[in-house]
Amino acid sequence: MDRVDPYLIPALDGVAYGLLLFVVASGLVLSFGVAGILNLAHGTLYAIGAYVAATLSDGSWLALLLALAAGVGAATAGGAALSGMLAAVPRGDHLTQALLTFGVALAGGSLLVMAFGAENLPVRVPATVDRPVDLAGHAYAGYRLVFIVVAAALALALHAVVNRTRAGMLVRAAVDDPDMVACLGVSPARVRLGVLAASGALAGTAGVLGAPIIGPGPSTAATVLLLSLVVVVLGGLGSVGGTLLAALAVGEIQTLGVALAPTAAPFLLFAAMAAVLAARSHGLIRRWSPA
Amino acid sequence: MYRSKILAGLLALGTAVAAVGCGGEPEGSPGTIKVGLLASLSGTYQAIGTDMRDGFQLYLRTHGGKLGGHPIELVVADEGDGPPTAVPAATKLVKQDRVSVVTGIVGGGSAAAVYPVLTEAKVPFIGANARPVFKDVSRVWHTSYLSQETGASVAQYVRDHVEGSVYAIGPDYQGGHDQLKGFTEAFTKAGGTLANADGKTRFTPFPTTTNFTPYFAQIKASGAKAVYTFYAGTAAIDFVKQYSQSEIKDLPLYAAGFLTEGGVLNAQGDSARGIFSVLNYSPDLDNAENRSFVAAWKENHDGPPTTYAMASYDAAAVLDKAIGAAGDNPTPESINRAIGQLGQIDSPRGAWQFSKTTHSPVQKWYLRQVRQDGRALSNMVVTDLATVGK
Repeated sequence: MDRVDPYLIPALDGVAYGLLLFVVASGLVLSFGVAGILNLAHGTLYAIGAYVAATLSDGSWLALLLALAAGVGAATAGGAALSGMLAAVPRGDHLTQALLTFGVALAGGSLLVMAFGAENLPVRVPATVDRPVDLAGHAYAGYRLVFIVVAAALALALHAVVNRTRAGMLVRAAVDDPDMVACLGVSPARVRLGVLAASGALAGTAGVLGAPIIGPGPSTAATVLLLSLVVVVLGGLGSVGGTLLAALAVGEIQTLGVALAPTAAPFLLFAAMAAVLAARSHGLIRRWSPA
Repeated sequence: MYRSKILAGLLALGTAVAAVGCGGEPEGSPGTIKVGLLASLSGTYQAIGTDMRDGFQLYLRTHGGKLGGHPIELVVADEGDGPPTAVPAATKLVKQDRVSVVTGIVGGGSAAAVYPVLTEAKVPFIGANARPVFKDVSRVWHTSYLSQETGASVAQYVRDHVEGSVYAIGPDYQGGHDQLKGFTEAFTKAGGTLANADGKTRFTPFPTTTNFTPYFAQIKASGAKAVYTFYAGTAAIDFVKQYSQSEIKDLPLYAAGFLTEGGVLNAQGDSARGIFSVLNYSPDLDNAENRSFVAAWKENHDGPPTTYAMASYDAAAVLDKAIGAAGDNPTPESINRAIGQLGQIDSPRGAWQFSKTTHSPVQKWYLRQVRQDGRALSNMVVTDLATVGK
């Protein structure tokens, strides 16, 4: 027990970190898997949510709810706007998509710095959970514990939506055979709009709730985008489960992995990614073929 | 990265236009002297660079725009994130603006890369922040400190006040190595024990480390009775916020002052309360120079001045004395010679003087603690530490 004990908190923290990455990355998986859009401005949508949280947060639950509404609204609108910009780009033209969304990310990042300054902004969490909680003799940040519960609920909800609802069925159908979905009378433009808006909403949710963990600053968008791309590469595009597994793995590598092998910390994440890619070129789980 | 470069470019353009715009000082006797100030006005170190610029300008403003009796034309240039922006900016200052002296420079990498440009032109450099290793310091002066001095000055105090071993942790880059080495060497020499496994400082990947929880778990497992660290900027915010809610929240935290200096303290908020830090300056120091410095600073700024602003203010004070002693027609050469003959310099940090060998200050260091000061949190002096420098 004594040998396991020092690693309990890093392992738990890995879950919090992993769930945060899951919520962001699932948006990226959605837009790439369903609409075939490689959205490099996804991290910027997260940053928008995080900046909104930093601006509105004042230590009360009401402010957090307000921030959630405003942040998700703004990021959803951002996703919808991206869909409009991408209307002229043919499906599958990933280079143009990447250039366009990367340009949007650069411009958006500069606008955010102009509006909020070049410093990392502090984010206040509700006072009732802004304290350490005792867990079997260990202290752990109260807010992160709440975050784990909320993000786990989000993951369950997402799983249910994708597998149990008509919209989810459409999403799965669009991943499998977009041409057939179009033949059935569903407008690809509407699918794109819906998917990018939903993807923006996920990034915005993660941004507002995750701001105390990965806070708003000039490098936030790049950090979040990079980590979500790693999750997408590891998890594949096919399933909520694959993304969740990959996100938790990345989270644990960055916490438990660092605690177990601190000297390897600088390259642990990418070494793990290379190992997974070498063994399984389609990610950890492959259920449907990617678009 | 690209984004910050574009921004840096725009800002550099802006400052260049501004510099041209305010270049209309009247020529006459005594003649106008051009001073080049190079600091990060964009990028990661923007906050520090802006403080340095403001500190220098504050001295000029409170001394009628003159140094040593000569009107000063200050040419400000953007250092950006490092050598790629700093070197062209310095070259422009020297070749195009033909400044007599250069001051500022936030980053150690920038300072090292700019050094050959200044040496070739025989322009003296009054650095106000990072001090890398130079082969020849005959034209290099620093109003800041040597990286190893910070930790060295607090080692004995930590040895005397902590009953048990101390865990040393810091960022994995040259500045971090120097800062931590200064502490660990002096601390073990004073008979202290490091709690780190194998006695080696734990260095965290920089700037990629944003989550310190795994390291906190190690510190707890090591049985340390206190922690000594050095982080600055974003990493300092993450470290302090996470520390305050971690398993080791009750362990006393000692740090190089940059951990809680300036803008980062606002971002850390309550989580920084109680942290001990060591620095060559604190805004609540009780001396006449400091009282007027702080009052003048607060006219244009929300928070108290930082050590960065103070060191740059002192660079102006050094030039004030040196130019005054450099004859009727000061040249880069005569200004440099005059700096070498300066005695004590009265400063907001208390009086100090240049070391004859290192050309950096022989100065007193202070132990400070983050405490409530009116409505805001501030670094308040707890006690004087050693006078360091040789």
